[in-house]
Amino acid sequence: MTSEVVEAAARSIDATAEEQATRSHCEASLRKCDTPEAVNYQEMIIALERYWADYGCVLAQPYHTELAAGTMNPNTFLRSLGPKPWNVAYVEPVIRPLDGRYGENPFRFQHYFQYQVVLKPAPEDVLDLYWASLEALGIDLRKHDMRLVEDDWEQPTLGAWGLGWEVWCDGMEITQWTYFQQLGGFDVELVPAEMTYGLERLAMFLQGKRTAFELEWAPGVTWGEVYREAEREWSRYNFEEAPVEVLTRRFQEHEAECRHLLEVGLPIPAYDQVLKCSHTFNLLDARGALSVTERAAYIGRVRRLARGVAEAYLEAQGENAVAAA
Amino acid sequence: MPSLLLEIGAEELPAAACREAETQLPDLARAHIGAAPSQLFVGPRRVGFLINDLAERTADEWVKGPPENLRDKAAAGFAKKHGVNVEELELRDGFLGITVPGRRLREVLPEQIDRIVRGFSFTRSMRWDESGIRFARPVRWVLAKLDDETIVGETSFGHRFTHGAVAIPSAAGYVNALRAADVEPVAEERRREIVEGLDAIGGWSDPGGKLDEVVHLVEKPIVLEGRFDERFLQLPERVIVTTMQSHQRYFPIERTRFAVVSNGGEPEVVIAGHTQVLEARLEDATFTFERDLATGIDALAERLASITFFTGAGSFAEKAARVAKLVERLGGGEASLEAARLAKADQGSELVREFPELEGYIGAEYARLAGYPDGVTKAIEEQYLPDSSGGPLPQTEPGKVLAAADKLDTLQTAFELGHRPSGSRDPYGLRRAAIGLVRLALEGGLTIERDLLQREVGEFVEERLESLLDVPVEYVRAARASSAPDLGAVARRAQELYRERETPAFEGVYTAYERAHRLAGKAQDEAAEQLDRALLVEDAEKALAEALATVAIDGNGDLQAALESGAELAPVMERFFDEVLVMAEDDAVRANRLRLLLDVRDALGALGDFSQIPR
Repeated sequence: MTSEVVEAAARSIDATAEEQATRSHCEASLRKCDTPEAVNYQEMIIALERYWADYGCVLAQPYHTELAAGTMNPNTFLRSLGPKPWNVAYVEPVIRPLDGRYGENPFRFQHYFQYQVVLKPAPEDVLDLYWASLEALGIDLRKHDMRLVEDDWEQPTLGAWGLGWEVWCDGMEITQWTYFQQLGGFDVELVPAEMTYGLERLAMFLQGKRTAFELEWAPGVTWGEVYREAEREWSRYNFEEAPVEVLTRRFQEHEAECRHLLEVGLPIPAYDQVLKCSHTFNLLDARGALSVTERAAYIGRVRRLARGVAEAYLEAQGENAVAAA
Repeated sequence: MPSLLLEIGAEELPAAACREAETQLPDLARAHIGAAPSQLFVGPRRVGFLINDLAERTADEWVKGPPENLRDKAAAGFAKKHGVNVEELELRDGFLGITVPGRRLREVLPEQIDRIVRGFSFTRSMRWDESGIRFARPVRWVLAKLDDETIVGETSFGHRFTHGAVAIPSAAGYVNALRAADVEPVAEERRREIVEGLDAIGGWSDPGGKLDEVVHLVEKPIVLEGRFDERFLQLPERVIVTTMQSHQRYFPIERTRFAVVSNGGEPEVVIAGHTQVLEARLEDATFTFERDLATGIDALAERLASITFFTGAGSFAEKAARVAKLVERLGGGEASLEAARLAKADQGSELVREFPELEGYIGAEYARLAGYPDGVTKAIEEQYLPDSSGGPLPQTEPGKVLAAADKLDTLQTAFELGHRPSGSRDPYGLRRAAIGLVRLALEGGLTIERDLLQREVGEFVEERLESLLDVPVEYVRAARASSAPDLGAVARRAQELYRERETPAFEGVYTAYERAHRLAGKAQDEAAEQLDRALLVEDAEKALAEALATVAIDGNGDLQAALESGAELAPVMERFFDEVLVMAEDDAVRANRLRLLLDVRDALGALGDFSQIPR
């Protein structure tokens, strides 16, 4: 990292007086026309928890190992399989080593938060429920340009895909919306609706802030104060220090353990090993240790494990696994 | 005569699905209602149609039964199956049968409409409940009105956020009722409104062709103008344009101005939000851009050693070195050599990771900012051209050379690793590269020596000529066997052969070649290695050897002259075949005669393999 780069970064974060003037004008105009008062980050989460609890969701908690998306939490991935209805909501910290920028880029992080809601089966008024959740946050839908823009979702490492949208609020993508069609290579029996709120973006919109660092987390405390140093250190770890040989070995160990757990009929612990494989792969990727073909091979290995877990999970539930697609 | 309205209400349909629905609606209407729509409604939340002047009843239907002469055997069964008595069967054209009277339209509509809803076929479709219906997105309501009578459903729905359920008074009143509820259901009308709004602002552009999509992203288009901060103008222009168009579906105006088509909301709030989002994206790009600039293009080029081109093909640094050698062999000058060194540097940049579609362009911008001359930067920018079969070619000479070298290297490297395209599988884009190479030769006038291409690659590339040239493939195949030295020359030879195909000279050469080839071509093994003049006995064969020595066939020169010269052999050949027995008993004489014929064939063969051309 040259000093020039750091300076350049500092310049773009440390805006000039003129920029600040424009900025506060923007904020003023947003506030003026929008929410009565901007909610802080934690209040926003509390509002979402309240809303979805009132609807009847189980309020679950973040998972205990690194996930690259709230979808990978077993409360979404495993529970979306099979014929049992399931409504759940939870905050998920997502870990994406490749996206770290040493805490220098105010728009990119290797660690941020999603708010995940899964309604299975999707009720007929599921979109209306979603819009009402935004109103619960104080957004007046009639004042804004709200749109659903096609964005089909695919997660090759999980053998999963679905159709859905990005939700745009005045051009900002605040939610990823998906009707799952396949998970672990199996067609879903009841089609779940998955709503993944991008909490930083949603908060930037609600608070009229231009970057996540500036967000108010709690009164007098910013998002940057809570996480910026962690971004710096984790980026160094992800890009520079993560031990490639150890990780390569660990991947194999997790893979072998997953197979073993599947053999002895423990799909839920086996799924943790899939998650660990997936995160180990992401770290190897961030270290630039994988060529294009190697990447594809690793993805194929994780996908096979995920498929095995999905199959075993369905069997363990005493259900007839639907024919693989 | 009543009018029928059908509206299928869905959650937001992708633009591509709207276009598919637009194509299929008329056919579905004809198939299931028996009439063509007079108006189509296609948009993100509804697809449907209006049909005017429908018959009140469906047509009577004649159901043909057994022939009359089988009345005793089969009539009873047929009648029973259709629930009538045998006496009720009618006779028509020698067959028994019944007339099933048409039904009242309102009775058949519900089932027919269900068939329409289930009849769509989308490229990507989904299911969402137990109905078994597949559609591009969930269907949430269906409304059908026959004039003012509601046949299916209850109401329509207006704009998602400003209006709820909307009562539709009649089929004919549908459009006005929706317009009053902030929805424009007619796609063409929305397009007109958008274009009108954009024109009112003026100076708008749509280089990425987003208008077709935007028409289906809104139900009530409102065109707004925004402005981003001047400081972002330091970014390469196409980075700004790509951010606006691909990511946000905005229309660039000039400098910092842009237009947004919104789906409602308060203009002041909406444009402030969109501007903020665009600026955040540009800020992000700026951050990346400045980091790349701080590194500099030369340092980026040095990073290439650690980036894999593709597995087995070495790093991008090795690719750059191979490309540089090919540039030299293609006769490239200093600018193209310098461009070759820097061509792949942007693969090491962060901005290309964010904007992969701008590879080449970003490298060119970095080279420009580092002070490299135009010749170098243009070549870097043009290196991937042409990137589609009809796409533009590089405009500069260094650009053409670099583009050809890059494609050649990709082809040779991939072929060496055994990645020959098979069927529709062509993950390395080798067909496109080969077509690009051929177009650079044909349209770009670049000399690409055939010796530069390894055998298999050469064949693969020259096969592209067969579909690219406007002459029958046989002439291309004939030309490929000629001694034409470069790709352009092969193409010209094919065209010339085709042009000359009916001239007497062509006829003469063709016949001489064919006769020599037919007799001696199969007996190649028996022919002598070299012609031995001492073994020539008959006058006619001596004459042929002499004539062959005097004809001037320049395989690379003017075809017409070469054909005329070659055609002089025709009468001598004719005499030869009249007077000489090639298959002489004496082995040596026979071998010598076969050699003489093969020499004739090969001399003429420099012009092309005439045996490919059917007569």
